[in-house]
Amino acid sequence: MPNMSLKKNPMPHQPAEVRARNFQEVALGYTAEQAIDEAKRCLNCKNRPCVSGCPVNIAIPEFIALVAEGDFEGAYNVITRQSSLPAVCGRVCPQESQCESKCVRGIKGEPVAIGRLERFVADWHNANCNTLPTRPESNGHKVAVIGSGPSGLACAGDLAKKGYEVTVFEALHVAGGVLVYGIPEFRLPKAIVAKEIETLKALGVEIRTNYVVGKTISVDELMKEEGFEAVFIGSGAGLPRFMGIEGENLKGVYSANEFLTRINLMKAYREDSKTPIFRAKKVAVCGGGNVAMDAARSALRLGADEVYIVYRRGESELPARAEEVEHAKEEGVIFKLLTNPTRIIKGENGFVGGMECVEMTLGEPDASGRRRPVVKEGSEFVLDVDCVIMAIGTSPNPLIKSTTDGLATEKWGGIIADENGLTSRENVYAGGDAVTGAATVILAMGAGKTAASAIDEKLKNK
Amino acid sequence: MFEIIKKESLNPTVSKMVISAPQIAKKAEPGQFIILRVDEEGERIPLTIADYDREAGTVTIIYQIVGGTTKLLDSKKEGEFICDFVGPLGKATETDGIKKVAVIGGGVGCAIALPVAKKLHELGAEVHSVVGFRNKDLVILQDEFTACSDKYLIMTDDGSIGEKGLVTDALKKLIESDEKYDEVIAIGPLIMMKFVCKLTKEYGIKTTVSMNPIMIDGTGMCGGCRLTVGGKVKFACVDGPDFDGHEVDFDEAMDRGAMYREFERHSYEDTCNLLNKKVSE
Repeated sequence: MPNMSLKKNPMPHQPAEVRARNFQEVALGYTAEQAIDEAKRCLNCKNRPCVSGCPVNIAIPEFIALVAEGDFEGAYNVITRQSSLPAVCGRVCPQESQCESKCVRGIKGEPVAIGRLERFVADWHNANCNTLPTRPESNGHKVAVIGSGPSGLACAGDLAKKGYEVTVFEALHVAGGVLVYGIPEFRLPKAIVAKEIETLKALGVEIRTNYVVGKTISVDELMKEEGFEAVFIGSGAGLPRFMGIEGENLKGVYSANEFLTRINLMKAYREDSKTPIFRAKKVAVCGGGNVAMDAARSALRLGADEVYIVYRRGESELPARAEEVEHAKEEGVIFKLLTNPTRIIKGENGFVGGMECVEMTLGEPDASGRRRPVVKEGSEFVLDVDCVIMAIGTSPNPLIKSTTDGLATEKWGGIIADENGLTSRENVYAGGDAVTGAATVILAMGAGKTAASAIDEKLKNK
Repeated sequence: MFEIIKKESLNPTVSKMVISAPQIAKKAEPGQFIILRVDEEGERIPLTIADYDREAGTVTIIYQIVGGTTKLLDSKKEGEFICDFVGPLGKATETDGIKKVAVIGGGVGCAIALPVAKKLHELGAEVHSVVGFRNKDLVILQDEFTACSDKYLIMTDDGSIGEKGLVTDALKKLIESDEKYDEVIAIGPLIMMKFVCKLTKEYGIKTTVSMNPIMIDGTGMCGGCRLTVGGKVKFACVDGPDFDGHEVDFDEAMDRGAMYREFERHSYEDTCNLLNKKVSE
């Protein structure tokens, strides 16, 4: 008999007042009992609407049925047919707008907690099975993957499983891309990313860190001199945007990228870290997306007394996942909605002395379909802060575009690729944020997988 | 891991290291920089490339011991390894069309000015080098500069070698003695570059400076290295490090450079204290 409870099994969490001051993971994960109980809520529908909501088409009812039976390793094997990073996706996928949004149980009550189950299965596997996959026999074809973020890792993983000799080139000193420099430890422990990368290495993927493609080596050199038959560009959208307002170059103004990179990649959250970070008392984070939530919650954990999210639209327009917004609020982040920064005020010694803002109201919908924020006359006020973090979006890095002849890009910098990921250059594929602009981990993974199968089609008959 | 092939002390606070990095040596050009991390727990710091040998596959860096990381770097010996070494980053110095140039180097900035002077010399330009130091004990790369300069002037604060005065004094004299430069290239402390630019602006001489702000990744990702050039925000790592000196907001750059002064001072003191402890035990 299915479990007909209208509610999901709740996710155990660290209490908000405790976790707001530490960098350990917020969500603790289901126990085996909770997972089995939750899995029994799945009706195993014939037409499987949830699968159509998954960018990589994981056989969701199939893995959940195995969880219900207690066959967790079996469930893991079902998930990994499609996903190379289940422990990551179980944590950071926006399931509420993907698989879970299609779940029949969600029509009356809450959908099945697919994301929590995926996470449980991946964590169970990582805790209980130490066997790494064996390297398949080489098919002799060499493929280069640029960038070791979600799209690059997914592409590399799929190709390696098919016997390709894959080399991943990473600009930073560790692999993982946004999974290691951007998403904080409390949302995605770095040990999990490291484990996924170990799995790829076991499959034969070689990872070369400290390689900036476009500088250390070019795409053309990879193909002509290093013998790679195809290249996948998964270089992400790493270039931070600023608002262009006065005072943005004051000390104490960070891009979210810099703030999070110092904390995550460079471990500034640890007392013994050699990486300096400005430990502010009052912090304003400008923006309303997941990155803004990550920055705000990190600032709290570094010891700030007051942290504000400053966002020019309203609550329902916040682009961040509802769960992240909820967590931020529970931890004490203050939301200044319908508020827009106009100027950062210079304080003592060139540090931030405050941020001038205006209040907004929502007018008619704009091109994006969201209601356009309009300035409320005479509503200027000063927010008393000593640190400002800009989390208003990122663009693709122009480094590869500017060093690869004939690689067509959009005006805003995105690489142009067809539905298979093929760019304007023969045997050069691209996917993830480098193509779409800043999006989600799972969409990037999906693009990496699509390109992997296109590369396979192209090279296997060569 | 990147092997230290050779290490040499140039003065009490400045050392030179030759690092095995064939892929970077293959691509490096004067004006570009690398980012290194000494060990697994270390910071990433940018250092401009002082020299390279494509055949030997080596890249030379020259650094001044100013903080914890450079102190740690300096504790490494020949035959030991540096954990991470990435580059060449940034744009190369523009040398096209320069027939006569004044290269101004201040302190350890001479290490970066030298490859530019060398390249211009090789391209057949007339090179006048003006270098400044606090005193004679701190002079570096004298022979190397002499070898690639048609004129070589040393300025010191105390007059213990060369002439007493600032590099701007010497440059002003040269300009007023009717030397016609196509360009002035100034590399050194921000305050020196600021005043060189102030001077050359009066005479309408194009001036290029090399900026070395705080940065993490060096590929345009963190934005920590941003500065204002001609009223626009630029990233030193990808748009530079060379910029038109007459357009750079030096006061802002100096302010930003001091962001972590307190933190860095503590970290340096920590290392020193540790050393002191060892000595006293």
